[in-house]
Amino acid sequence: MPIKAMTQEWMDAYKAAIQADPEYKGIAKDWEGSVSLVVNPEPARNVPDPIYLFMDYWHGDVGDFVVCDKAKADSAKFVMTGDYARWKQVAYKELDATKALLQGKLKMRGDLPYVVRNIKTVNKVIDILGRVDTLWPDDNK
Amino acid sequence: MGYDSDLSFNYFGPTKIVFGTNAVREAEIEMSSLGGTRAVVVTDPGIIKAGLVNDVTASLGSRCAGVFSDVPQDTGVEVVNAGAEFARENGADIVISVGGGSVIDTAKGMCILMTEGGTLRDFNGVQLLSRPQTPHMVIPTTAGTGSEVTNAAVIMDREIGQKRLLVENFNVPRMAILDPKMTEKLPPLLTAGTGMDAMTHAVEAVHCIPHEPLTDGLALHAIRLLYRYLPLCIENGSDLHARGQVQIAATMAGWAFGNAMVGIVHAMAHSIGAVAHVPHGIANGILLPDCMEFNLEDAVDGYAMVAEAMGVREKGMDDTDAARAAIGAMREFTRKIGHPQKFSEMGVSGQDIEKAAELSLSDGSIVNNPRIVMDSAEVLGIFQKNL
Repeated sequence: MPIKAMTQEWMDAYKAAIQADPEYKGIAKDWEGSVSLVVNPEPARNVPDPIYLFMDYWHGDVGDFVVCDKAKADSAKFVMTGDYARWKQVAYKELDATKALLQGKLKMRGDLPYVVRNIKTVNKVIDILGRVDTLWPDDNK
Repeated sequence: MGYDSDLSFNYFGPTKIVFGTNAVREAEIEMSSLGGTRAVVVTDPGIIKAGLVNDVTASLGSRCAGVFSDVPQDTGVEVVNAGAEFARENGADIVISVGGGSVIDTAKGMCILMTEGGTLRDFNGVQLLSRPQTPHMVIPTTAGTGSEVTNAAVIMDREIGQKRLLVENFNVPRMAILDPKMTEKLPPLLTAGTGMDAMTHAVEAVHCIPHEPLTDGLALHAIRLLYRYLPLCIENGSDLHARGQVQIAATMAGWAFGNAMVGIVHAMAHSIGAVAHVPHGIANGILLPDCMEFNLEDAVDGYAMVAEAMGVREKGMDDTDAARAAIGAMREFTRKIGHPQKFSEMGVSGQDIEKAAELSLSDGSIVNNPRIVMDSAEVLGIFQKNL
């Protein structure tokens, strides 16, 4: 049963999927710091308001995974912002996150070299995201 | 050579180019076309001493808001902040940079602060801006960086001991004036080093993962021009035709790598530059042939095209033979132009390359390389060959 994207239930499922992944802990052992995803509204795709998602990653462990307000999102070490359609492309691996940053399809506040140094971690969490059975706001399921 | 049937890409290159001998004398007219009324000229003491700013300020006349010339060889956050303050105090609404990479990057940082306010430390990230920035006209005095047409700037933050990378599509220079007279007095070593910077941009644009037909076209023609005209510039610096062709090549390579990105050569050159202060272009030139060798299996198609551009693909060669011919020709080319061959010539030690190898893995360029690099020992091996 697919879960509605970008809801607390979906965040819980995503966190559980990361925790259940046998490789994640080892790959992410050097990552420290929270990441926020800011989803810009696109009413035509059934996303009428901005959505803020906060995820806390720490040396292979995961902490808070919450739908939050703007202030909480802004408090993260890395804040990544993009249109809803772009995030969906990232989730489906139709869009490479690093390439998207360099092309301006996504924006990021934070230390780019740190992200590059830990690119395997970034790719891993995107891989796992793609495995969460998701109902997107513009899906006709 | 083919491309995937599901090829998709974005190409971004909004900079207007004005080319010609003495084109800098048009600076005032061109500034007006960008909507500028008072320009701050950004440069460095060497450029002032060489008299290269005179034609620009003469053209601007009373519309020159002032000359900011305190840019060192490796610019820093405090330089950008001071430059922006200078521009604001003097009522400038457009920036004209006259110089090489450090000057151009300083001006890029200033454009952001002149529009957004604050200091450069407020802008830590990628593509953070959401509106066009202060117009920037670039007049390069070297032919290599390609910075006149790219969205990136590298600025040292000495307080934290790290370089800040600005990547902003809203801050690409609006115009570049390429005037061969501006590079006429470059000495042979600097001509070779900056020329190999351009050559490396072109080759890396061909072998990097995001390469596509537009960037390939630009890069391969840049390689043709550099291969033919860079040696002529070394032989006779006053050959303005050759100087101009190399300037055009450097700009084309800038567009190519600005979209297709750069790979392992740049990751390593940035790192050895940070550790041992090896000039960027020279580090690129030393590393390029062995990095091509390293990438060979994953970039055969691209290097075969490079061989064609260099005119070294002979009848009967398959792509692998042609790629090998390109690598050999590139090695020979660096010798022909009198480019340094080993890092030891630049005072680099074994300890330096160990540190630089480690650092290379966290450089943003490494993720675009055609051969995946996960182990610093692989990078160290390339450095050792070139020590």
